[in-house]
Parts: sequence; structure tokens; C-alpha cells
Amino acid sequence: MNPIREIWQSIVRRDPLSTDKGKSELVFLNVWLHIHPAKVKKENLKFRHSFYLGFITFFLFLILVTTGIALMCYYRPYPPQAYQDMKDLQFVVFMGSFLRAMHRWAAHGMVVCVFLHMCRVFYTGSYKKPRQFNWVVGVLLLLLTLGLSFTGYLLPWDQLAFWAITVGTNIGSYAPLVGGQVRELLLGGHSVGEAALLRFYVLHVAVLPAAVILLTIVHFWRVRKDGGLSRPVWKLKSAKPEALVTIGAPTAIAPLQAAPASSSKTYGLMEVVSGKPIFETVTPEEEEDTVFSYPYAFVREAVALMATVTTIMTISLFFHAPLEELANPAKTPNPAKAPWYFLGLQELVSHSALLGGVVAPALMVLALLAIPYLDRNPSRHPADRKLILWLFALFVAINLVLIVVGTFFRGPGWALVPPWVHVVGGAE
Amino acid sequence: MNRRAFFKLSWGSIGVAALVSAVGVSLAAVVRFLMPSVFYEPPQSFKIGNPADFPFGPPTFLVEEKIFVFRDRDKGFAVASAVCTHLGCTVAHFQSDQRFHCPCHGSVFAADGSVQHGPAPRALDWFEVTQARDGQLSVDKDKVVPPTYRLMV
Amino acid sequence: MERRLQQIFFALSLLALALIVAAAWQANTPSWKTYQRSFLQLEAQGEPNAAAKAAVLATPPEIHQVMLTGLQRVDRCTTCHLGVEDPTMKNAPEPFRYHANLGPHIPSKFGCTICHGGQGLATDKDGAHGKVDFWPNPLLSKDYIRASCGRCHKEGDVPGVPELTEGRHVFENEGCRGCHKLNGVGGSIGPDLTGEGANRRSPEWLERHFLTPNAVSAGSAMPNFHFTKDQARDLTYYMLSLTNEDMGSYYSSVRLIPGPEYGRQLFVEKNCIACHSVGGVGAKTGPDLLGVTMRHSTEWLDEQLVNPELVYPGSSMPEYDLETNARKALLAYLATATPDDVQLILSRKTRAWTPEDVAIEAGKQNFARFGCVGCHGTELQGGVANPNAQGGEVPSLLHVSEDYTKDEVIAIIRNGRAPPLENPAGPTPPLYMPSWKHVLSDEDINRIADYLWSKQQKAKDTW
Repeated sequence: MNPIREIWQSIVRRDPLSTDKGKSELVFLNVWLHIHPAKVKKENLKFRHSFYLGFITFFLFLILVTTGIALMCYYRPYPPQAYQDMKDLQFVVFMGSFLRAMHRWAAHGMVVCVFLHMCRVFYTGSYKKPRQFNWVVGVLLLLLTLGLSFTGYLLPWDQLAFWAITVGTNIGSYAPLVGGQVRELLLGGHSVGEAALLRFYVLHVAVLPAAVILLTIVHFWRVRKDGGLSRPVWKLKSAKPEALVTIGAPTAIAPLQAAPASSSKTYGLMEVVSGKPIFETVTPEEEEDTVFSYPYAFVREAVALMATVTTIMTISLFFHAPLEELANPAKTPNPAKAPWYFLGLQELVSHSALLGGVVAPALMVLALLAIPYLDRNPSRHPADRKLILWLFALFVAINLVLIVVGTFFRGPGWALVPPWVHVVGGAE
Repeated sequence: MNRRAFFKLSWGSIGVAALVSAVGVSLAAVVRFLMPSVFYEPPQSFKIGNPADFPFGPPTFLVEEKIFVFRDRDKGFAVASAVCTHLGCTVAHFQSDQRFHCPCHGSVFAADGSVQHGPAPRALDWFEVTQARDGQLSVDKDKVVPPTYRLMV
Repeated sequence: MERRLQQIFFALSLLALALIVAAAWQANTPSWKTYQRSFLQLEAQGEPNAAAKAAVLATPPEIHQVMLTGLQRVDRCTTCHLGVEDPTMKNAPEPFRYHANLGPHIPSKFGCTICHGGQGLATDKDGAHGKVDFWPNPLLSKDYIRASCGRCHKEGDVPGVPELTEGRHVFENEGCRGCHKLNGVGGSIGPDLTGEGANRRSPEWLERHFLTPNAVSAGSAMPNFHFTKDQARDLTYYMLSLTNEDMGSYYSSVRLIPGPEYGRQLFVEKNCIACHSVGGVGAKTGPDLLGVTMRHSTEWLDEQLVNPELVYPGSSMPEYDLETNARKALLAYLATATPDDVQLILSRKTRAWTPEDVAIEAGKQNFARFGCVGCHGTELQGGVANPNAQGGEVPSLLHVSEDYTKDEVIAIIRNGRAPPLENPAGPTPPLYMPSWKHVLSDEDINRIADYLWSKQQKAKDTW
């Protein structure tokens, strides 16, 4: 046989992609792709249902990992050198400012998209039984994303970074009983300094990304096991429960039989249990509406990937990541603001440290986690869920307002100053 | 093939070419990104002072730059590396025999830097020395010259 | 739909290609490369033949950087300022012009930003000149560059920068330390000025502030000292030099530039004329010093200053504990000392001083040095505004003996005192008498009291 063909076929062992078998094997024989189903329902691919926000969040994470590793080649997590390395990236390293910008805008983008993804999942009721725990995993991923953004925020070691983290860790210290100790553990000391920078660096490049990857694996796996990507199931014809069939399940209940070992027989692990499925599956009518993942699902994912990458690249070409003066513990900027996603929190804290800084956010997170268990309405149709949708919209709106107020309407001394008024003097 | 198929193929190829090039250029850019543009090390090319500061006869040893500066009445300046080519120890120069001796493993280099004795694999390097515009001598360790090179001032 | 999606994918790929090429092109064409090309063309013009010209023009562009660990900075200015050490570039256009009068301050040892200010890490013009947001140290204008000399040369006179010496004198004599700490000594009413030159690099702000403090710092308690423009400039120079930085030993070893003027100051301060003579003028206890630098080597004389007993065992010459450059200065003066000059020194000393005179003079020196004059005035007249204090101003001390005993005054100096309020419900007055017991020794405080008592005006006598 042609030696090149032989080498190729030792690597790529599926049938050609022109065949149905080949298309299936591309998915289930491939270690990187086999999380996908070989065939997928068209409704699962609807852009206007999910806006591909989950995929976009994941792609942003990939961008962050690759640009992050590149940046690690030049960044030293020790106070005076850290700032100098940021300046080196800006002035001396080939495409240093571009890669840093990509990293920062992808980070902000990921926080925004993970939040939007959560809103979408809520709106489409995709957290309902049996997907409750995946929602919980998602909320954990949201918190990890915020943690990644927060730990990364300190690394440039400029005034913006230093004081944002000072404010942020001080807010956290208001938590009862453990707040002070957790803050000291995080900072490796009593205030933000060398130890804090090193610990935040370790968290940012190793611990938190590992946690995100592990939980993302769970999150994707559960999506598959729970019945696949979300689809607007209320728009489909309602099917009688008895008609629901699992793809590939034996139609008759056959007892397992022990067969003698044979040298020529091959084995596959089929469904070893039988029974009624607990999650939505494909009706016989919908069978005809399924398509192969290759190319239908993959081309859409590829477009989402490309769109994400080109958007981040475009933004990075035109907008540089900010870098203020070297961190100066003796000089507090007035006002000192937390990163934007914590500004709502800082706004709450400015009214009441305990209520605003501890009770309100804790309640918010607990409420988020509890949603799938508290929601007793089995319908996913938006028309049947008006109250809860309005409540959630209110929650989102309150958060947005708090963040907008904290960003634009708070000036020196945390006084309310509209952004169109120029404050003269300020702290010298 | 018909026109439709032709256009489909050519746009398709352009698309594939665009994708492959985008990936290729990105990889090349990453490699270039990783190549440092500045080195946080002492510079390879530096000034050592005015010619008048260097005596004739025994060479001047510059500790940090690890070079010997020879000045000959007839022929001029020459600069030799003081780093042994075996494993990097600093060699010593003795006036008595005009040779370079390495204390680590006993390599001996002749007056022109060639290996006479010991485990050193190759001769000592001689570096280019020029006179800069302000009159000072400038040594460039990136430019190795033959042992016969001299700078007349 | 599927075909459309494929087309979109490939269109986005084209876009991605365009974007990465744009980013790479942007990264590959920084402005410094243009400057370097222009410089090479300038240099090539000076080359004699085509081959040499081509060799110069073929030099690859690269960032030039000077690493200064002792000064804790990295300067990349020479990436564009390529002619700085090249005398043939005397008349070249900027940024290629030759830097005359560098002396020992060559770029490879000092970089550029330690004197000129700016952002050494940057490689574009505005960034490097520090004229960007968030770089607090912009390029100093020509008028103020010489203030940077004081960052290393902290004592004695700096040749060519009389403003620094003057500024130091004004600071010490006008009582700034009364409210401001400098290197741990001084009051706490105003901000600590130890690192002021590092915190504030705006000479214009500093000068305006010295001329009218309240116009620049709203609500400041600092009185207007009515400095002249020259004094304000001198003080600005002095402030700019107070950068409180850790420098490597090579740099801190030249705190004092040894010069004969400072040597003369030491000669007077240490009262050498009490035992020595120059050309017959002076005392006879020790040897005559006229031409001593011709008779002995510098090393011998230096050793003599360090350890007088070494050469003449049993010598009554004290060990003066002078640092290296101070000794060099003294020897520099001795090389030029003349009998006439020494006569001048002698004539300044009138009658012999009694211990009381010494105490009062020491008290007067302390009163100025620790800044008491800043609030109480050089003539003890008081008068500095202090809103809501009784009397509305800092009191005069010319009649203090009528209201207090000496011990009471000593106690006030030691422990400090808040001024009694004019209106008890009103705001706290900004100025108060600080406590000095941790700064001044009891002896110093007693001498200040002695000085005050020597200045008392007997009001009753004027009746």
C-alpha cells in the first residue's frame, strides 16, 4: 500500500467523511470531539434560542488561556518587577500590548457573557428538572469567573489594581466569623503586598483555571447527559410520553445473557438498562429532523469561534488595556473603586457594610443556587412563567443600575456626582 | 467542471487558504512574541575607555566584561576573551610566559589564543575593537575576529 | 443556510488574517525604527565611501537600553537619542544631537532619566518624555534640570547649581521644619517633605505654592512667607532634589563634591585656626599649614586627618570623623589657603565667648534649625494667622517671661500645647505648638529657653 496512505490511515481510522458512518465516526471515535452527539436535533442549533452564549464564553476562556500563557513568559509576580514587565509588554515586546489587550478584553467579555448565558438559561427555563444541578455548576462557574477576573486584576500592580483589590478584599472581610481570616489567607498578610501578589498569581494561573476546567468538564458532560443543548421545546408539537423513545435503546426488554468468550467477536457497550427516559429525547417525528454534527453543528461552532476571536482582536487593535501609575500604598486615589463587576457591591457597601457587603450578596448567590429547586412550574414556555421572568429581569436591572451608579455617578469621597460635572481639585 | 462548481471551488480554496494563513501568521507572531527584544544582561557591545588609559605591555584585565585588552607599541589594540572555551572559567594571563592559563582544568592557551594544552576544545576568541566617534575604544563581543586583528589608534 | 454559514466562516477567517497581519504590522513599525533609520542616514553621510555608507545603513534596528541597577531603573532613551555621545553630531537636529558637558555622567553609567526625568521604559516620544497620563515624572524643562544634581550631591556646594545651596539655606533659616518633617526631624503640622521630590515633580506647582500657598493648596494653614521669585525658585530646586531614593554605593559615594569652598567652610567650622597657622597667621600649637599639600602626599595628609596620632603619637589634634569627600574638600582648600584669607577668618572671631554666650547662640541656632521661626518669626514677633485661636494668630515670644516662668516655657516646648480657642464652639485652629521632647534633647531645649530669655523686651521699662 502507498506508505503515505498507510501512515495517514494509522492516524485517521474512520471511514471517509462522505459516508454517514464516517461522519458519525468523526465524532464518537475522536477523543476531542466525542462529547458531541453524532447526530443533533436542528432545534438544538438555533442561534436565536441560545445566541451560542455558552460556546462564546468557552471560546473566550480558550483565548484567555492561550494569551495568558504567552503573557506568562514576560511577567514576574513580584512588586517592582511586575509593573516594569507591564511596561515592557507595552513598549518593547513584539505585539505585547496587543496580546495584553486581548487578554483583558476577553476577560471582561467572559464576565459579561457568562452573566448573559445565565440570563438566557433562566429565560428558556433550561434549569428545570432534570438539569437543576447543572445550573448549580453554572453558578459556581460564574463565581469562579469573577474570581479569575478579580485575581487577574491585581497583577499589573498599578494604582488601579492595588486599590481595587484593597477595596475588594476589604468588602470580603465584612463576612461574619471568617471574613477577616479569609482575607488574611488571600493576602498572605494584613494588607496588599508582595505576598498577596504571589498568591493572587498562583490562584489566577493555576488554581482557578484548574477549577474552571474541571467544572466545565462536568458542565458539558451534564449537558449531554441531560438531553443535549437547550432548544425551544415549547415550540415543538407536544408528544405523548409513551411515544418518547431513546435512540438506540432495545425496544423489547431482553435479559442479559452471559456468552462464552470468543476470539472473533467484538463488543460495544449499549444501554445496559432499559426503562422510560427521564429527560426529553427525540420523538420519532423528530428523528427525521436530526442532522449529523459534522458539518451542521461544527460549522456553527466554528463560526462562533471565529466571530469571538475576530471581535476580541478588533477591539484589541483599537483599545489598549489601561495601565496607571505604579502602585503606591501611601497614596489612595479618590475615589478608590473596585473592578466594575464589583462596583454594584461597593455601592451597596457604601450604604451598609454588613447588609450591603455580606447579607445582600450572600442572599443573591443563595437565591441563584436555589432557583431550580424552588421553581415548581414544570413549563418552560415563557408565557407560563411571566412572574418569575419579571422577577429575574428586576434582579438583573437592579444589578445593572448599581453598577452604573458605582461606575459613573460616584466621585471623590464616594459622593454622588453626575458624570457630566467635572470635579476640580480632588486629591493631590 | 461547470462555472458554478468552479466558483465554489475557488471561493472555497480562498477560504481555506485564509484560514490556514491566519493560523500560520498567528503562530509565527507568537514565536516572534517569544523572542526577546531587549536583554536584561550586560550589553554585548560596550565602551571601555580612552586609548590613553591603557598601558603598553601586560594586558589590562576588565573583570566585569571578562576581557583582556592588549596594547602593542607597533601594532595597536587587541581584545581577547577571558572565558575558557572548555567550561567557562575565567583564565589568567601571565607575563612570564605570555600565555593564558585556566585554573579549573588546566587548559593552556598560547599568546594568540590557540589551545596548547588541556581539555579546551577551541581557541580563545578575539573580539573586534573599534574607536567610537567620541574617541573611546568600543568592544563588540558579537564580532569575533582573527587573532591577527589589531586596531591602530 | 449551510453554504451561507461556510461562507461566513471563511469570510471571518479572512478577517482574522487581516487583523493578525494588522496587529503584526503595527507591532513591527514602531516610531523608534523611523528615528533610527534617519540617524543611520545622517551617519552614513559622514562616511567616506559607498561601502562604508552601505555598512552603516545595513545596521539592524534594535532597542538600546541601559540597565542601571544602582539607580533602580532602565533607560531606553538612547534608542532614539543616538548621537548623545558622538561629538560629530554637535549640530545634528534633535533627537540626534550630541550632549555636551556630560563630564563623568555618561549614559552607560547614569542613563538619562535620573537628571532629565521622563519615562525611561518607554520607546515612543510622548511616553518616553513622560507627557502622558499616569506617569508622574515628566521631562524637566531646561530651567529646572540642574535641580536633579541634588538627587545625588546632597551636601556642600554643587558647582554650577547655587540654587540648591541657597534653597537649603532658605529651608533651614525660614523655619520650614517647624511644620514639616525632613529626614525625621521637624513638626507634623504640614506634610513630611522627606520624599517630596519623588511625589511631586511639577516645578511650576512648587514655585506657585511657595509664592502663594493658599492659592494652590486650598485651605492650607501654611502662611505666606513673601518669598522673592528667586527664593521660590531656589526652594523649588531643593524640593525637586528630595527624592529619598535608595541608590547603589557608587552613586551615594558622591553626596559631597569635594571643593575648596566647602573645605574653607570646614576649616572655619572645625576651628583649625585654634591650633594651626597659615603663613604665620594663627596659633602656634600645631604646625604651619602654608603649602602643606606640596610637602606631603595626599594620602599622607588624608591619613593625618583620619588618625592624627598615627604620625605624631601624643598629638593633641582631635579625630574629626570627617567622611572621605569632606577630607578631600579640606585638603583642596589647604592647597589654596593664603595668610590673608586666614586673617579674614580670624577677624570674624571677636571676643572670647562665655559659656552663656555659647548657650544662647546654640539656642538661636536651634530656634531657626527646628523651624520655630516659621511660626514665631525670625524676630520672635509672631503674627502668623491661626483662625479661632485666642488672638487669631501665633503669639509673639518677646514678652513670654511676663506670663510664664522659664520652667513653664521649657515644659511647653517639651510637651506641646493646643492654643486656647477664641470661640469654644468654633473649628480647631490649624496651627498648634508641637511636642519637642522626642526630637530635642533637654540641653537643646534649655538653650532655646536661654535664647528666648535673652531676647525678652521689658515692656514695663517703656512706660
